[in-house]
Amino acid sequence: MMTAEFRQPRPRMPLTELPVGATGRVCALDGEAALCQRLREMGFCESAVIEKVSGERTLLCQLCGTRIALSDRAAQHIVVELIRGGV
Amino acid sequence: MPADTAKPAAPSRTPVYALVGNPNCGKSTLFNALTGLKQKIGNYPGVTVEKKIGTAYSQHGHPLTIIDLPGAYSLAARSPDEAVLRDVLLGRRADTPIPDRIVCIADATNLERNLYLVHQILDLGRPVILVLNMMDVAERAGLVVRAARMEKELGIPVIACEAINGKGLVELKLAMSRHDLPLSRHSWAIPAPIAPAVSEIAASLSENDRRPPLIARAEALLLLTDQDSVRVAGSRPLSERTVEILRSWEKRWAAQGTDWAGALVNSRYDAITELCTHVIERGGMKTGASVSDRIDAVVTHPVWGWVVLGAIMSALFLSIFTLAQFPMDWISEHMASLADAVKHAMPAGDLRDLITDGAIGGVGGVVIFLPQILILFFFIGLLESTGYMARAAFIMDRLMSRVGLNGKSFIPMLSSYACAIPGIMATRTIEDTKDRLVTILVAPLMSCSARLPVYLLMIAALFPVATVPVAAKVGIMISMYALGTLGAFGFAWLFKRTLLKGEPPLMIMELPPYRLPKIRDVALHMVERAWLFLKRAGTIILGISILLWALTAYPKAPVGATDAQQIAQSYAGMAGHALEPVIKPLGFDWQIGIGLITSFAAREVFVSSMGVIFNAQSGEGNTAPLRDALLAAKWPDGRLLFTPLVCITLMVFYVFAMQCMSTIAVVRRETNSWRWPLFQIAYMTGTAWFVCLLIHQIGRALGY
Ligand SMILES: Nc1nc2c(ncn2[C@@H]2O[C@H](COP(=O)(O)OP(=O)(O)OP(=O)(O)O)[C@@H](O)[C@H]2O)c(=O)[nH]1
Ligand SMILES: [Mg+2]
Repeated sequence: MMTAEFRQPRPRMPLTELPVGATGRVCALDGEAALCQRLREMGFCESAVIEKVSGERTLLCQLCGTRIALSDRAAQHIVVELIRGGV
Repeated sequence: MPADTAKPAAPSRTPVYALVGNPNCGKSTLFNALTGLKQKIGNYPGVTVEKKIGTAYSQHGHPLTIIDLPGAYSLAARSPDEAVLRDVLLGRRADTPIPDRIVCIADATNLERNLYLVHQILDLGRPVILVLNMMDVAERAGLVVRAARMEKELGIPVIACEAINGKGLVELKLAMSRHDLPLSRHSWAIPAPIAPAVSEIAASLSENDRRPPLIARAEALLLLTDQDSVRVAGSRPLSERTVEILRSWEKRWAAQGTDWAGALVNSRYDAITELCTHVIERGGMKTGASVSDRIDAVVTHPVWGWVVLGAIMSALFLSIFTLAQFPMDWISEHMASLADAVKHAMPAGDLRDLITDGAIGGVGGVVIFLPQILILFFFIGLLESTGYMARAAFIMDRLMSRVGLNGKSFIPMLSSYACAIPGIMATRTIEDTKDRLVTILVAPLMSCSARLPVYLLMIAALFPVATVPVAAKVGIMISMYALGTLGAFGFAWLFKRTLLKGEPPLMIMELPPYRLPKIRDVALHMVERAWLFLKRAGTIILGISILLWALTAYPKAPVGATDAQQIAQSYAGMAGHALEPVIKPLGFDWQIGIGLITSFAAREVFVSSMGVIFNAQSGEGNTAPLRDALLAAKWPDGRLLFTPLVCITLMVFYVFAMQCMSTIAVVRRETNSWRWPLFQIAYMTGTAWFVCLLIHQIGRALGY
């Protein structure tokens, strides 16, 4: 069902730049080791699916059915690929 | 703790169970259901910050020791509350027995993320029971979680449960009292390149750091996932040998360019995802926004969010002034008639004065504020149990990051509106030590419930006529709270830039789904606080009132002196006179000075002290309300003492001054030194004096 999407590479961007309302999949964490570890243990591990609900400075995202508030300083280290929504 | 205590419990000893899980998954709710105790419950992460031990009874009546613990996302502790969990589980706390068995609690609606910690716990090699809590919520969301299948996969008892409705408790207790609790069959493939490192570090840990073998393996895994070994090992440093081995592996991997820490975490998640595909069925998943989402769209909105916060605050203060009036009058009437009854029944003399002026005048003056305090706690209880607290932290995050703190610091600050002590305890959830210290330093600036009586008394003196609209009173009250809050932000900004320079803030916080407030929880909390308040009134405040009465009654003035002269030359009067030069520029006289001194113990004591001092002067006849006694008070030259300006100045003084022994004691304990509490007294009371000086002098110059 997803094969059609696989043909073209999906755009990658930091979570901060993901449009509000769009869904992305985490492909990499590129920050300091301690922060990455923290993010992973909170569930932002590679291949997790995140929906960005709102936010400018502090983001609100939906991760595995949980709402999580996240400072942009943490979110900019989460690299996601757009999988749904946005334009 | 010696290594050999990790053995399974001997049957003669009461088995010890630890309740472990992510924050806000319902551990304390389950603990209360099992033990009948009343641990605080709230719908936001980080309610419990210290361990609590209780006793439950199995179906056969055998006692079971249960430990409720703070929540954590990982055993590698990042904040003091997570460290409590780690230390208890690894047997590092001298005051807590090492748990023989572990009850892991997972939120069934959020299983993937919750299982991460469970997975780490399974490594500890102790018998584990897994509780899937919040099954009611899962069901409503259309999730089917198959506990039986999970039990088969993991090889440990898995119990579906609704802690809040007491469902699943019997099954849980039956599982807990099994003698033959199986160890988990769980095995996960530690990535091959990491495996030799794990075994080498584990060997060194058990040899050089005297860790029991299973704990050693779990600790080795933690050390490899966390760069900062303090987080894993706690305050006791690791042996040199272990550190050496750890460093050499780190170097080797760094040279190869592999992210071993990430690989370890991800391989855990792989195992969890695999497990979840078997046990979770997303039945008729509801499409569209849930109720929580729709509420959030308003409450976390950049504009509407503030409107909602403002509306809640206004509703709170409005009800403090309107709803409380009737019960307050009732209490005050009864206090007055009690005092009058004593006056008529007993012969005049010191004992009678002690009872009417000291005990009833002092304590009664404070007890009449019970209704307001209950209303305050009712509101705070609602905020805590609905899930609004975390949203407030979210919308405050922007503001807080301007002053250099993160939104999480707002939860302790919001709790400090009730009382600074739980507020300061709640700072344990803050990861950064400097941010935590800054939050501890400024939390007492948030107006706590003990200031409420002082504010209310002053507002009553400010507006003696009944025609003043409630809005004016509410306005003044809100300004006092706003002043304290602004002060807290201002000082946080200052401290983050000078004393405690640190990293800019960073927040990662879970926002729980909204829940209908549990009226029972809110009511229990209110009753508890009311009881605490009355207990304080009956002990500290009564004690100080009696002491103060004695200090005002002795030494006896020569016969023929008036009551006022008596107090002026008493011991208390001497102390007040000694302080007067310092506070006269603020418009306070020696009598207010006595109140300032005594209220160092607790702020409400100011009100009781005023009661003792001014009621004693009101002489015979009927007991007048304290407000009228205050309004009659004069300077020796005949000027009124409690002018509107002085009332305002006094309120501002109490906004800023650090007047609370218990807070000082808690700050001392939480910061582990006398330096910070002393600094806090100096800066807060210093600020209070300066601001009051400004207000009074400017006010005087303007002719007030
Ligand atoms: N619907 C539902 N709500 C529950 C259940 N168990 C607990 N809750 C609610 O979940 C919230 C959190 O409960 P707590 O017991 O305070 O959670 P905790 O794990 O002790 O949280 P921390 O101490 O912050 O780590 C409260 O609002 C409870 O009312 C349940 O089985 N069903
Ligand atoms: Mg708890």
